[in-house]
Amino acid sequence: MRERRIDIRTVVGLALVAALVFAVPVLTSDRYLLKVLTFVGVNVIIVTGMALLFGYAGQVSLGHAAFYGIGAYTSAYVVSSLGWPWLTGVVLAVVLTCAGGLLLALPSLRLKGHYLAMATLGFGEIMRVVFVEARGVTGGPDGFSGIPFASVGGLTIDSAGGNYWLIWGVAAVVLAFAANLVRSRAGRAMRALHGSESGALACGIDLTGLKVRVFVISAALAGLAGALYAHVVGFISPSTFSLHVSVLLVAMAVLGGTRSLAGPVLATVLLTMIPFADAVIPGLSRSALEMIQEWQEDVYGLTIIAVLLFVPGGLAGALRRVSGWGRRAE
Amino acid sequence: MSLLQVRSVTKRFGGLTAVDDVSFDVFEGAIKAVIGPNGAGKTTLFNILTAFDRPDEGSVMFDAADIVGWPPQRIVRAGIARTFQNTQLFEEMSALENVMTGAHAVTRAGFLSAALRLPWTVREERDVAEEAGRLLRLVGLGQWADAYAADLPHGLRRLLEIARALATKPRLLLLDEPAAGLNTAETAALADALYRIRDRGVTILIVEHDMGLVMEVSDEIVVLDRGAKIAEGPPRLIQKDPAVIAAYLGEEDADEL
Repeated sequence: MRERRIDIRTVVGLALVAALVFAVPVLTSDRYLLKVLTFVGVNVIIVTGMALLFGYAGQVSLGHAAFYGIGAYTSAYVVSSLGWPWLTGVVLAVVLTCAGGLLLALPSLRLKGHYLAMATLGFGEIMRVVFVEARGVTGGPDGFSGIPFASVGGLTIDSAGGNYWLIWGVAAVVLAFAANLVRSRAGRAMRALHGSESGALACGIDLTGLKVRVFVISAALAGLAGALYAHVVGFISPSTFSLHVSVLLVAMAVLGGTRSLAGPVLATVLLTMIPFADAVIPGLSRSALEMIQEWQEDVYGLTIIAVLLFVPGGLAGALRRVSGWGRRAE
Repeated sequence: MSLLQVRSVTKRFGGLTAVDDVSFDVFEGAIKAVIGPNGAGKTTLFNILTAFDRPDEGSVMFDAADIVGWPPQRIVRAGIARTFQNTQLFEEMSALENVMTGAHAVTRAGFLSAALRLPWTVREERDVAEEAGRLLRLVGLGQWADAYAADLPHGLRRLLEIARALATKPRLLLLDEPAAGLNTAETAALADALYRIRDRGVTILIVEHDMGLVMEVSDEIVVLDRGAKIAEGPPRLIQKDPAVIAAYLGEEDADEL
């Protein structure tokens, strides 16, 4: 029972981190930094879903950028072109990505093997073409511009700080729900599935149903993040939702490690900041930044390889080993 | 009353008939053993009873319902639980969590209610943890609750798998070679655990090579050889059965009979 009780130090630590995260707009007026950290928050929302899917249920998706894009374009279209309220756009984006996730997961998860990875890869490419070609809805390769800021009732969230709080507020709620989930019956079932499929079957766990549910949740979170993102930046284009973003998301989940939410969140912060290194490293030269940006895909690829080879369990595994040493030392 | 009726069950793998027209009954409250030389089809039979495999022919009636074709989770809910010859524990979970996972089929908290941490799910979690603790104590693993399954000694791993199976609240418990790799003391502890489980009203069907254990605990024995049933009856009669002795001749188990 000992490990089920939540450690007081964990609670205090989490509260401090949360306080720090929410204090950022008060502590700095650097709009660029706020924007970059807002992107980090958007990615945290998606990666929370990836952590459940990859880290807990052991499934790989190579197409989550597509759900991210579906969410973004749906909300952009509903709010900008149809003139419906912002909240409607976000809700419809989540509903649509749920449906898309279900349609993709049901056939591919009934089969054993890597069908989900293949199906999501294909789905991502199909959606990339759709984003480019469905000009009437998406604006085609030129992108969709003039997407209005989030607004509820008469209140429009148009400041950099306001958008930061919106995104991180949603991210915090998503993380809290996910943290509850992984400590529940469903979380145990996911870890069981990862541990031994035969054992999970013997416990009466409906493996296909479980995998489908987790996949749909992860798709919905990507859709939610996309919808929020569209209204934060005001402009979206197909390149934001391409295969390399899907790979980046996998890199975050892999670097973050399995059976953990904190690890993937940390990995998301690190990997999202790479192309925006100048926001946190003062005096970083223009050419150095350009070099980082040119090589960023290689950094993601190398990260995946390095973690698989040298850091089994990713950041979460490393954290567990460190705290394990601490416990033994006590 | 017959809890499980196996009727003319046949399973072929290519040219090999792994289970050949096998029929027998398991009566409620009994401990019944399935024995036979290696390759006799015992594990295949277990896999059929728990929907890990489908029979080519025959029926399996559990509590008057034909369960052939049901998915595994439905069979667990109906009240059949199992363990594995090669333990299938969740290595990176604690012993307590392993047993709590066994309660999956008899608990309700879904994704949404758990994410929202609704009060009833918190109560359910507490009840599941308490029951899991009781089951660990029942099999003698009370002090190992917080240990990772991967860190448990071999003998205790088998007991943990039994506790996890019990968490599904089974009426019929299928144990696949629970004494394999256990020393004498551990086997004696296992026998005690089996009696305690039976006394809780759980019927037990056990596949086992340890003849000492089989002869001691079982009320009835079914003997399989090359897929077919060659004998069935109480331990004393099975020990003297010429067909059984012939089947075991040349097998290292023969002198144990």
